[in-house]
Amino acid sequence: MIMPAERLRVAVISPERTIYEGDADMVVAPAWDGQVGILRGHAPMVVLLGHGDLRIRLGSAEEQFFVAGGFLQVVDDVVTVLSERAEAE
Amino acid sequence: MAKAREIRRRIRSVEKTRQITKTMEMVATSKLKRATDRVYAARPFAQRLAEVIGRLLEPELRERYPLLRQPERSRRAAVLLLTANRGLAGAFNTNLIREARGLVQRLRQDGIEVELHIVGKKGIGFFRFQRERVASGRTDITDRPTADDAASLADPLMAAFERRELDAVYVVYAQFRSAMSTPPRVLRVLPVEAPKEKRHDGHVHNYILSPSADEILNRILPLYVRNSIYRALVETAAAEQGARRTAMKSATDNAGEMLDILRRTYNRARQAQITQEIAEIVGGAAGLE
Repeated sequence: MIMPAERLRVAVISPERTIYEGDADMVVAPAWDGQVGILRGHAPMVVLLGHGDLRIRLGSAEEQFFVAGGFLQVVDDVVTVLSERAEAE
Repeated sequence: MAKAREIRRRIRSVEKTRQITKTMEMVATSKLKRATDRVYAARPFAQRLAEVIGRLLEPELRERYPLLRQPERSRRAAVLLLTANRGLAGAFNTNLIREARGLVQRLRQDGIEVELHIVGKKGIGFFRFQRERVASGRTDITDRPTADDAASLADPLMAAFERRELDAVYVVYAQFRSAMSTPPRVLRVLPVEAPKEKRHDGHVHNYILSPSADEILNRILPLYVRNSIYRALVETAAAEQGARRTAMKSATDNAGEMLDILRRTYNRARQAQITQEIAEIVGGAAGLE
């Protein structure tokens, strides 16, 4: 059993640049079939994204992005969001 | 007198030329910086994308994905040539055009019909002059290409490939190794050469895949193709600025050398003239005595 890291590592990347990189307690993403929430210790996953708000919560702070299409990957508490349309809100 | 004046005029003209090339060099240097940043900023997306595709794709199953279809016999291919809208960048455009011509020739020798898609006035101009049919020519892509530009180039080609109107798509672009080294390259973007996953950190069988590996791949393979073209665009844009800076730097240096020689010649002519005038005065005075 791998001990989960203290926090999630999150990166939001578009073809042109890395839009966000940082730690988080929770990520809520607009998956193709509805919202998906990710906490640390999540099983490895690749999920297609629909469009909507991507929320990254750390403590009481929250970053919000709009994404359309692309996908999200979770491996070992590292969350990677790749989307051709991703903008900070 | 006439000779010295002539040289002076040339000095002034070379000075003005040097001023212009110097300015162009500085403009290219600052654009190069930003273009290089864009090349580096584009890497994480490409890397992660290749990682995921490599992890999900089982090479034996490639026939399931239209973009991976390997035609038994290639009949028709598209060549997408990326060039600049502007010249004054040394052999930059010429090198790309030569690479593209070589590729087109090789394909035709193998009996493959080739359609040419060209970005940049320089490439379009050349092939139009050669009376080649240019299937599409784009001059609206600036020296700051966007992912949307790449999509607008890639999407029609992918659609034609899926309809089996094309059996292969090649991109001729300038690889940006450094500002000094920007060799032309040929990249086959279709059928997709599946990236290989090197690391074996956990099997894909343990992954939650939603909706399914097939659907995920069918959705993200087009991202991969667009991204390959996007990277070719940004690398070519950076290479163009690098090539222009190098060309303008050597033009500035050459103008400097030329000025040294001209100034020396001018001084010699001026001194000769003064010497001659003194000799004439001395001669005249001697005649009066």
